[in-house]
This record gives sequence, structure tokens and C-alpha cells, in this order.
Amino acid sequence: MNSIHATLEILLLLPLIAGVILFFLPEKHLKVKGLTALAVSLVTLYYASRLYFSGVADEQINLVETGFLNRFGTSYIPVSVGSYCMLNLDNLARFIGVLIAFFSVLILLYSIVYVDRNKSLRNYYSFVLLTLWASVCTAFSDSLFMFIFFWGFLGLTLYKLIRGHDEESSAAAKKTFIMIGASDGIMILGIGILWKITGHFNISELTVRTSDAIRFCAFLALLIGSFTKAGAFPFHTWVPDYAKKAPASSSAYLPASLDKLLGIYFLTRICNDIFLLSGWIRLVILILGALTIIIAVMMALIQHDYKKLLGYHAVSQVGYMVTGIGLGSVLGLVGGLFHMVNHAMYKSGLFLAAGSVERNTGMNKLEKLGGLSRQMPVTFICSLIFALSISGVPPLNGFASKWIIYQGIIDFGKGTGIANQLWIVWLSMAVIGSALTLASFIKFISGIFLGRSKTSLKQVGEVHWMMWTPMLILALICTGLGVFASRWVIPAFFEPLAGNVSFIGVWDSSFISLLIAVSIILGISVYFVFSMGRFRRDEIFIGGETNRRDLGFEPTSFYETIRNFGLLRPFYGWAEKKYFDIYDVSKNITLKISHIFSAAHNGILSNLAFWVLAGLIFMFIFLLM
Amino acid sequence: MDQSIPIFVIIPLAASFFISMVGGRIRGFGKTLSVLVFLCTLIIALSYLISGNHASMVYKIGGWEPVGNIPIGIYLLLDPFSGFMLIIINTMAFLATLYSVNYMTKYTGEKYFYTLFCIMVAGLNGVVLAGDLFNLYVFLEITVIASYALVAFGTEKEELEASFKYQILGGMATALILFSIGMIYWYTKTLNIADITKMLASSNDRMLIQFCELILIAGFGLKAAIMPFHGWLPDAHSSAPSPISAMLSGVVIKAAGLYVIFRLFFNMFEITWEISVLITAIGTLSMVVGVFLAIGQWDLKRLLAYHSISQMGYVIIGVGMGMMIVATSGNMALASLAITGGLFHLINHAVFKGLLFLNAGAIEYRLGTRDLNQMGGLFEKMPLTSGTSLAASMAISGIPPFNGFFSKLVIIVAAIQAKFYLLAALAVIVSIITLASFMKFQRYAFFNGQAEDYGKDGIREVPFFMSFAMVVMAVLCLALSLLMIPSVRESFLQPAVDALLGNNEYFMNLLNM
Repeated sequence: MNSIHATLEILLLLPLIAGVILFFLPEKHLKVKGLTALAVSLVTLYYASRLYFSGVADEQINLVETGFLNRFGTSYIPVSVGSYCMLNLDNLARFIGVLIAFFSVLILLYSIVYVDRNKSLRNYYSFVLLTLWASVCTAFSDSLFMFIFFWGFLGLTLYKLIRGHDEESSAAAKKTFIMIGASDGIMILGIGILWKITGHFNISELTVRTSDAIRFCAFLALLIGSFTKAGAFPFHTWVPDYAKKAPASSSAYLPASLDKLLGIYFLTRICNDIFLLSGWIRLVILILGALTIIIAVMMALIQHDYKKLLGYHAVSQVGYMVTGIGLGSVLGLVGGLFHMVNHAMYKSGLFLAAGSVERNTGMNKLEKLGGLSRQMPVTFICSLIFALSISGVPPLNGFASKWIIYQGIIDFGKGTGIANQLWIVWLSMAVIGSALTLASFIKFISGIFLGRSKTSLKQVGEVHWMMWTPMLILALICTGLGVFASRWVIPAFFEPLAGNVSFIGVWDSSFISLLIAVSIILGISVYFVFSMGRFRRDEIFIGGETNRRDLGFEPTSFYETIRNFGLLRPFYGWAEKKYFDIYDVSKNITLKISHIFSAAHNGILSNLAFWVLAGLIFMFIFLLM
Repeated sequence: MDQSIPIFVIIPLAASFFISMVGGRIRGFGKTLSVLVFLCTLIIALSYLISGNHASMVYKIGGWEPVGNIPIGIYLLLDPFSGFMLIIINTMAFLATLYSVNYMTKYTGEKYFYTLFCIMVAGLNGVVLAGDLFNLYVFLEITVIASYALVAFGTEKEELEASFKYQILGGMATALILFSIGMIYWYTKTLNIADITKMLASSNDRMLIQFCELILIAGFGLKAAIMPFHGWLPDAHSSAPSPISAMLSGVVIKAAGLYVIFRLFFNMFEITWEISVLITAIGTLSMVVGVFLAIGQWDLKRLLAYHSISQMGYVIIGVGMGMMIVATSGNMALASLAITGGLFHLINHAVFKGLLFLNAGAIEYRLGTRDLNQMGGLFEKMPLTSGTSLAASMAISGIPPFNGFFSKLVIIVAAIQAKFYLLAALAVIVSIITLASFMKFQRYAFFNGQAEDYGKDGIREVPFFMSFAMVVMAVLCLALSLLMIPSVRESFLQPAVDALLGNNEYFMNLLNM
């Protein structure tokens, strides 16, 4: 039993055991439970990073042959099942493992104050730890059967981390779990087909060409799984609903960070390790990626509920990752994975900020809020950094990863396939999506933090330090990842995952950051030295919008123009009637079929007896034929 | 051990007579005795399992030895497949009676309840042990006649109507079964299953045999409530008292229906392609149509009842695929995998569907309603019911780490391996709709705000014995996942599968002892 095995043992068992023990601790010791969970997650983080930095000699580990599973009993598990219990500890898996543990620590730190004694969110900490455990196990699984086991379990924990206290929230919980559970079922089909075709079910052993229909089905099944988990079009519809009604810490934990990490991790696996993609499949993936970016951000623009707005952005950003990974080049892969990390950072930060605002104000509509920047300065600064970052403003991390993806797309255009020829489409979609993201985050920032302070919000203060510390850490990391992206972050973390990167253009993130800092300082000094106080006052220019002074400064109303724009209005109308929601569409079809069958079941005895005879006669005819 | 075989029938039968005689005089006699009786039979069944002796055992009633290799007299036979069923029957019977200790207090005439319950279980134990067709039929009738009475136990209009329908269709089943047995007796001149096998092997009248097979599928299909023969089930299972619903859905349709179909078609008849296709087709039909019927229901127990039809479909397609592979003399390991999946799902379904009916009973016990629209917000009021029902719902929807996930996984993977891609896809779709309908149950019963004011005293968790039975079953929902571990599977599930597949062994044991 060497040190790797000891480390693994802690990673694979400690969160599970702790999570199960916490079930039996009464709910009145909520703080104790929270602190225990935090301690466990810290230990997990320590061991996960040790595993990451120390490296492993042998990437594939057989849990049975190494004696891991038989440690406590002599030999309950025969060696023959060893191939079902394979771990894969390559760079990517270990990297994802560290990130999972890292986000667990931050969310638990935040939760200790945020989650109060609410009866309908019972066993919160147990489920957070079990989520941590299952996520780490998912990331490390090499055997697809082990993978689907943990992956499916994550759907259950996701369901248990939202509280169904009223009609809307229980509907959201139901929808989430049905969609996730459905995708898991479909993935089982894909895994079964892979096993049938190749005779293997370990990710490291699989290399499949997507040449014929059955292989394509297998690919599609696995793609649906990863898309649903990550929340990409058209399987994304649970994300906004979940984000709207779940506690912010749950949203920050699962849909914003862990589900993205795992979904994109699995997408990387299927696109790079399991399947060899043909040009047409790349085209499909890129179309879905581009659609995800645009559709979700268009929906985000018209939202009034800031948590739902964030939920739509959690979808939109997935489009960039999907596009990056769909490109299939090293540049695209690095961009996609880097964007995945960045997105997890700023999006969970944004959810935590939203949770803080909601906790202190008790409101979740943008128009009811405003002017909180003075009362909640730390939350404001952090949110601003996150918002700029998600909108791709240099020198923050969102810019860095989007920039790499843009470069990847341009590089991709040099190829000859049909998807390559359309590179300008992917690029323009990505850039437009970024611009619209900025537009909707102006609404978010100005709606909550800027503008005239409302009298009803005078009492609001800053949140507890345990709640703003995670946000601050995330904001610092966002800045750090952006400033040192090309110098340090990409060579140190992402090149081991994908291969060496050669940028097309000249790009040095630190130098650019320096330039930006210098220009800001210059601007401020020009302001102070020359023209302080000598400006003219005029009407506010708002781009031709009617300024309704009577309502005060209300950013959300500006976005009504988009909604009422002739070309888009029908689409928004249909979207609100849920015509595009794959969940509602299939639900209606299912219920229609159900009604047809139910109509036949009127419970009249002679009918029932008739069916018996009909069945009997039908069987006779079948046999005679 | 082989001397203890008749105990499975004798003790419950004797208990039922004692309860009907003494039960009215001594308070709590019925419940105590029946709980103890089922605990006792459960322990004996488990001891057979744990003994590791997987040979079949025969008990010859009255000590009548075969004459010239022709069996005369009544033989009871315990092989691993019967043992597997005995464990399901007696575990469920034990937990259901434990649950009834509190639950049945709201009914009058408790002693009749326990009397009938014991008769029903005695019949079920007899069905899985019987070695000849006629006794199988007799035990079957003992079971269903007791269950007619138990379905009508509430004696309200709805219960009586359900029981009436159940009796009429049950009567049709009886007629069909008896007719087919008569045909077989006329043709082979014997009733002993092993002897019939021998006779049929040397015959070449395919039409006649297939005719008997079809009649038997229809007759036992009625008992098992598979698709065109399911008409009685939704009414009967939803109107019966909840522990009886749990027994009917969890055990009776399996032991009196599926067990017999599997036993006869594997061990008595020769497996043919047409019959195996037919059985799989019926299973698929039940699986698909059952779930569509279930999702539209608002009566909780009716929803669960339709799911029983659908879940039986899974069991049948698992075993049916195995039959098709055997019929085409394909890969036996694959056939074994498919049948393992089917039987694994059978035991899993017994546990989680039993538990779901007990949960429905717990809700009805406190709220007095089965309508999902009138529930809501019970998550805080009934945490144990809520938690156990979540476990059962996850198990039936196939969410890891609960047992249903593994059995469905095995069935789906076996279907793909055998190139039945359509079956695999249907199994997944049905699984998704199952999840959707159980999410509906969870949402409307336990969350969703409170539908109405539940009165001043509020709703509390159910009493101890009811909670205890539910918790034990929820733990079983998790613990049965361990059957995936090969060493556990080989000592419990695999012998049952081998007993079905090794069709020679069964009658060898009956004849040459």
C-alpha cells in the first residue's frame, strides 16, 4: 500500500463516511454539521491537490487487484470484477478532482452562515459531502459502469439540494431530476452499445470511429448525458428553473460549478478519448454550441429575476466550452477547459453574491432592488469583477479563455471540412454572445447595486465575513487567472491536459493587464489634473429610449425594447409558452398518449373480459402464422 | 432440511385455524401469532439459502415412493428458484403483518384479516413448492380466494366492486388453467411436472402442446396481470388495505403468476422460439402501456398498481430474452445474464413496490385520502414516510445507488448484448417515464405546499410498527444492491437462474431420489 493508495483511500472514502455519519446527527446541531463538513472538504482538498501535484506512476488503477476493495474483508470481491472497478488518474481527472474539492470548500464556508435551520432542506451538509464524494469518484472512474453509477447518484443529490417548499420550487425540482435522470438512462444505452461493439467499457481502452449508425447512436447517447449535465442546448432547460428556486449555495455548487466541471469533463472524454469524430459530428457540436450561446443569452436579457438570469448565463457560457472542445484542436481544447474553470469560478461567485443579496433583502426581482453598492461594498466589488469577467473584459479570466477560443476558431478555419468553412459563423456567434452577455450584466450590476437607493432597502448591510470570504477568494482568483493567463496559468495547468499551445497572434496577458492598469491610472490622473469640476450638465443620453423619470432609474425597463422588437417578439412568446422546452414538449406528448390509453380503461367488466379473450385469440393467430 | 419443506405450508395454515378459533377471545392473538409464524418461515427459508446447499430437495407426502420411476402421490420440491421465491414471500409477509399491527386497528374484524392473510401466504408457499400441476392449481386457488376476500375487506362499495371484478377475471383464469391442466393430463396421463416433461419430450404433437401453452399463458397471465389480462389489477390493488396491496403487488402476482410461467416454460415445456417471442412481446406491451397508464393517475395507489404492470414487464422481458437466446441456442452466459436481470428485478420490485404501497398506506392512515391533489407538504410532517418513499421511488426509477438501478442496468445491457436494441431503448424510455411519475408522487405528496388544512391536531408520523416495517424495507432497497457483488450473487441469485436454465436437474430430482 503505497502513498498513492493511501491518498486515494481518503479521497474515495472520507467524504462518503462523513456524509453518511452526518445523516445521523440531529438537525439542531447545524453549525457543528457545517463545520465538520468544511473540515472534511478541506482534508479532501489537501489530498486531491497532493495527488495532483505529486503525480502518479501508473494512471490506470485497478481497485481489486491493488487490494483496495478487499482491504477490510479478505476477498469478498473476486479478481474477475477488477475491470469494472478501474480508476483513471490522468492529468485531466486529477485536475478536475482538485477543482471539485476546491469548490466544495468555498461553498461549505459560505453555507455555514447562509443555510439556516430550514426544515425542508434537511440533511443539506450530508448531501453536499455525498455530492463531493460522487463527483470525485465520477472524475476518477475509468470504467464507464462505475462512472454511470456515480454520475446518476449526482442527480439524486442535486434533487435533494433544492427545497420544494412551494409549488414552483417543487416543480423545478421535479423537472430537474426528470431531465437529469432521463439523460442518465440514455447514457446507459450508449455505454451498453459501446460495450457491445468494442468489448471494452474502460474509457482508456476505448477508441471508436463514428462511422456507422449504431456507433453514432452511442456517441449521441453519451453526448446527451454530458449536455444535460453541463446544461447545453437543447437539454438546458432545467438550469434556469433550478437556479431560480434553489438556495443560492446549491446553485453555486451544482449547476454553476460541479455539473459544469463534470459535464465538460465528460464531453472532453467522449470527444477526445472515446470517439474519433468525423467532420459532420463536429458540425453538429459546433451548431449546438453556437445555438447555446445565443439562445440562452437572449433569454437572459429579458429576465427580471436575477437568479434566473444567472441560470441562463450558466447555460450560455457552456456554449463556449462546447464550441472550444468541438473544434478538436489543442487550442480549442485548452480554451474550452480554461473557460470551464473560469466559468465555474465567476458563476459560482455570482450565485454566491446573488444569494447574499437575496438573504439580506429578501427580494429576487431586479426592479425592486437598486443602490446597494454602498451598503454591500464587498459583494458589489466582487460581483463587478465576476460580471466583467463573464462578459469577457480584459484583463480578467473570462477574456483570456474566450480569446483562446476565438483564436481556436480562426485556426480551425484553415481546415477544409464543412465545419471549418463556416468558421466565421462560429466566431461571430461567440463574439455577439459575449457582447450580449455584457449587456445583460449591465442590467444585473446596475439593477442591484447602482442607481438610486430605495427607501425600503435602507436597513440592508453587508453579509457575514464567512459569506463574503469565498466571494473575495473567487474574485481574486478570477483576476489572477486572467492577468497571468499566458505566462503561467496555461503552461502550468492546461498544457499538461491538452498538449503544447501555439497562439496565432501575439498575446501576453500580463503585459496587456499592465497596459490596462496604466491607462486607467493615466485616465484618472488626467481627470484630476485637468478638468476636475469643469463639465457640463445635460439630459442623460439613453440611446433614444424614453426616460421615465417618474419611475426612477430602472435598468430592466430598457430591455423591454429587445423583447418587443418585431423579429424577436414571437420567439419570446413561444419560449414563454414553453414550446422550445424539450421537457414540456415531451411531457405533453406523454400525457396525450396516457389519455388515449386511459380512455380505454373505463373499468367496465365486460370490456376487461373481452380483452382477455382478444388477447387469447391474438396469441392463437400469432402462433398459427 | 427436506423434512422441513411442508412447514412452509403447514404453519401458516395451522395459524389461520388457530386465529379464527381463538383470535376473537384473546386480544392481539392474531397479530402476534401471524408475525411470529412469518418470522419462523422466513428464518427457515433463509437457513436454506445460507446453508449453501443448492441441491433440490423433495418431500414426499405420506412417503409414497415412485413406482418404476413413475411418481405417485404428492411431492413438494424445494430448489433454489423456489427458495428464492420463498424468501420474497415470507419476508414480505413478515413485514406486511408487522405493518398491519398498527394499520389494521382502523378496521373491524381483525381476526378475519389475519386468518385470511395466513391462508393466502400458505397458498403462496404451496404454489412455489408444489411438484405437480394439480396441487399447484389447488394452492393457487387457496391464495386467490383468500385474496378476493382480502381485497373486499373494507366492505365499501369500491372494495366490493374491485373484488367482484377480481373474482370474475380470476374465475376466467381458473377455468383456463384447469382446462389446460386437463388437456395436459389427457395427453400425458400424468400430473407430476417432472413426469410430464419426460412424456412431452417424447411426443411430437406440437400443435396440441402449443395450444396448452397458450392457454396457460393466458391463465397465469391473468394471475400475473400482464397486459391484455390486467383488467382486474388497478381496481383490486388500489382498493385493498395497504398491507394487502403490498402483498398483492409485491408477491402474489409474482408467485402465483410469473413464478409458474417461468417454472413451467423453462422446466416443463421445451423452450421454443415462438413462445419465447410471445412472452417477450407481452412483457414489452405491459412495460410500455402500463407506464403510460400510470403517469396519468391521480389516485396514488392506482398509480402504483399500474406501475406493477409496467415493472412486471421488465421482469418478463429479462427472462423472455433469456428464453429467446436459449431457443436459438445462443450464448448461454448471455441468457443467464438476461435471466439474472429479470429475477433480480423481480426481488427488487417486491421490495420497493411493497414499500411504496406501505407508504401510500401510511399517508392514507393519517390523511384518509389517496388523491394526490389533496396531499402536499408532508415532507416536514412525516419525515420517515417521506424518506422511505424517496428511497423506494428512486429504486423503482432506477437511480443509483438503489437496487432498481442495477437490475435495470443488467436488463438493458443484456438486451444490447443480445442485439435487441429496440427492447433496450424501450426499457430506457419506460424507465424515464417511471421516474417522471414518481417525481409527480414525490412532488404532490411531500412538497408543493400544503393542499388543505389538515385540522387542528395536525399530521404526525405513523406509529412504530408501521414506521419500522417501512424503514426495514427502505434499508433492503439499498442492501439488495449488494446482489451485484459476484460472491453474493453466486450464493443467492445465480442458483435460482441455474435452476431455471438447467432444466434437466429439476425433474431428475423429482424422479430419481
